[in-house]
Amino acid sequence: MTGPLAGEGGRGTGLVPADGTGPADGTGPADGTGPADGTGPADGTGTPADAGPASGAVFADGARPILAAPGAGTARLGLTGWLRWGWRQLTSMRTALILLFLLAVASVPGSVLPQEGVDPSAVSQYYAAHPSLAPLLNRLSLFSVFAAPWFAAIYLLLFVSLAGCVLPRTFRLVGAARQQPPRAPRRLARLPMSAGFVTSLAPGEALASASRLLGARRFRLRAGDGWISAEKGYLREVGNLLFHIALLALLASVGLGGIFGYKANRLLVTGQSFANTPTALDVFRPGRLVSPSDLQPFSVALQSFSATYVSSGPQLDEPQTFNAALRYSAAPNAPTRSYDLRVNHPLTVDSVSVYLIGHGYAPEFKVTDGHGNVVFSGPVPFIPVEQAGLTSEGVVKVPDATPSQLGFAGVFLPTAADLNGRLVSEFPAARNPRVSLISYAGNLGLNTGESQSVYQLDLSGLHRLAVAPRPLAVGQSMTLPNGAGTITFTGYRQWVSLAITYDPGQLPALISGVLALAGLILSFMVRRRRVFVRAAAGPDGQTVVAVGGLARSDAAGGFEVEFAELAGELRTAQDGRPGAGGPVRGSPEPAEQQTTGSVSSDNDQSLSTPGGE
Amino acid sequence: MSRLPLPAFPSDLVVRAGRAARSCRRARGGSRPAAVALAVTAPAAAAVLAVAGCAGGPIGQNTPASSGQGFVSGSGMSVYETGSRSVAPVVSGTTLTGQHLSLASYRGAVVVLNFWGSWCGPCRAEAPDLQAAASHFSSRGVRFLGVDIRDDPTGAHAFQRTFQVTYPSLNDPGDEIALAFRGTVPPAGIPTTLVIDRQGRIAARIVGSASYNALKALITPVAAEHPVTTTGAAR
Repeated sequence: MTGPLAGEGGRGTGLVPADGTGPADGTGPADGTGPADGTGPADGTGTPADAGPASGAVFADGARPILAAPGAGTARLGLTGWLRWGWRQLTSMRTALILLFLLAVASVPGSVLPQEGVDPSAVSQYYAAHPSLAPLLNRLSLFSVFAAPWFAAIYLLLFVSLAGCVLPRTFRLVGAARQQPPRAPRRLARLPMSAGFVTSLAPGEALASASRLLGARRFRLRAGDGWISAEKGYLREVGNLLFHIALLALLASVGLGGIFGYKANRLLVTGQSFANTPTALDVFRPGRLVSPSDLQPFSVALQSFSATYVSSGPQLDEPQTFNAALRYSAAPNAPTRSYDLRVNHPLTVDSVSVYLIGHGYAPEFKVTDGHGNVVFSGPVPFIPVEQAGLTSEGVVKVPDATPSQLGFAGVFLPTAADLNGRLVSEFPAARNPRVSLISYAGNLGLNTGESQSVYQLDLSGLHRLAVAPRPLAVGQSMTLPNGAGTITFTGYRQWVSLAITYDPGQLPALISGVLALAGLILSFMVRRRRVFVRAAAGPDGQTVVAVGGLARSDAAGGFEVEFAELAGELRTAQDGRPGAGGPVRGSPEPAEQQTTGSVSSDNDQSLSTPGGE
Repeated sequence: MSRLPLPAFPSDLVVRAGRAARSCRRARGGSRPAAVALAVTAPAAAAVLAVAGCAGGPIGQNTPASSGQGFVSGSGMSVYETGSRSVAPVVSGTTLTGQHLSLASYRGAVVVLNFWGSWCGPCRAEAPDLQAAASHFSSRGVRFLGVDIRDDPTGAHAFQRTFQVTYPSLNDPGDEIALAFRGTVPPAGIPTTLVIDRQGRIAARIVGSASYNALKALITPVAAEHPVTTTGAAR
């Protein structure tokens, strides 16, 4: 981020010899286009003392430190100097890029190792499998990477780096956008473009006429004794400014989403409904300032779910379409609407997006206990363990069965088939649904108050019942030994898994991104260009008018044509004749440019695009 | 298609970092937990807080079903002073035994509203304590009412049979009752117990398993606020 733009900070510091009035008239930088234009001490940090090693390192533009502080060395860096040096290191483009890279690298263990916040049971499994390595990894916070102090340090530094880079630059750009045109150089003929003519108007009138013409063309004007300066293309600075402000807004938007947004998941079986409230959610990850009362009060009912699969060919079993028919309402008393939820076709209600992210089967069971009471009846979501045939696993817990609690670990096979004596599912649609159950009795461990996964059985208090697991078809029952009861596979439903996300920073981030792009394009497209006019009384009572032009960037051509037109119009308006200034001259020869000093090269350095950052 | 990961970066980072702070927050803005009341109700409440602490908070996973417990739980206790209580919504519904019941019919009584599910471990752990508290306070104008959420009526009936629950429960399959408490003191996890004073305002909330001692400590001062005999509000 220390591109050529940094040079603009030096403008107006007055550290460079003034323009045409000085003895250096006609040579060197003074004859250029005004004070401190890009040739100043450059980095806007003021005192020469800190400019030595610091700007040498940060602002890799070799010319500037030489100008700034001869003799400044590390020995003269005090505490303030070091702090400044550190700050500039932090806010440099290089550091930002390194931090961005580090952030990406630091995220890797988060996806390679099991994470506490995502899957605590996988972490416990990892502990069991790697008893010596796991505690070490835990000390490095590798099981909760995204909450780790070192991870926070990286992204906070990145935020500070970006903000520290963009903010001061924004202020400088405001200055650049408000800047007056510089004084006119003394010898306009030395500019890359120049023209001249002789008119019978008095010098004052000639200049007034030129002012009117340039003013009408929306040039910003500055008048002096016998000259006017005009500059156009400040929109470039506006674009630049827009880009930087939009970049800051983008950062703020991302933060906004983290503070006021939330994410949630809900598994919903067909025929069921839920409302967007914490007790109805499977997973709820609120932002820092989100309370349960902030959740948008919509409710969603799943009426039906259909999935189609490729039934032949090389892509056999691949899913083709998914469609979840929803009924939803935005608030308790709002009208109910229908919506077909599909993959990448989320439901948006009250600024909240509801995505379809998964589906599966929920076999329905009826359990009668040893005393003849129906103690369980309903669908139980089973989780797919393989995608080709959607073989799914799940558990049924019957905590109120008597005389002892019952538990079942089951496998659901949508299209059951015998593969060499092994039961498999050969197609994801439910063409031949079967459930195979292992039965347990004893203590489910639920009554102790421990929160327990609804998808796992705690086998520590259970004993397996001596009943051979037999695949049940819909309607079939299995009688448990010792009068423990019966379980019936009564049918099946489908479920969908919904991801609910609310990110209030999303739209601002999008707008900021678009504005940043627009600003960037604007600053690329628009050139700043200057026109100078000098009028002086000639020897024969006539007025000699000289016109000079300078495009202040190398971004795009075309100013030659514009200048020629302008010069022609000026001449016409003032009824001029060819004179001292010579004919309109577009592009100067390279040789001439060298002899006139550093006019154009200096200016080419001084202005550039934000793309150079 | 079963598990399409969502883009979880970078706002996710901030969310996770903020979790610890969130789970310690007890009440929404404006209604601050009353330190005084906690001090008065002393050891029992303190014990609950010590055990419950701020350690709770949701445990979750990206795809709902692969692991994790599959529901939002939590722990914490909040007490609201009389000046900072929000009015409970007037909810109504059908009980597990098929009768229509409205919270309005309990006006004048202290109502202990318990959100539970037969499948939920902490709910099963607190059930005997809730029933004991219901019996203990029944003569003091305190009514208990359950709200059965995410449950099947068959399982819910079996639960009530197991724990010999004598007070009624509303069936809330679409979470409408839980949603109605939005903007007041919403249930933040399963189970959640709310104590509603005689004027229909929420006086306390327990998120997580409620012990008999904690219930007694919370209900006693609320039940004593307006003696039933003097207000005549018990209808």
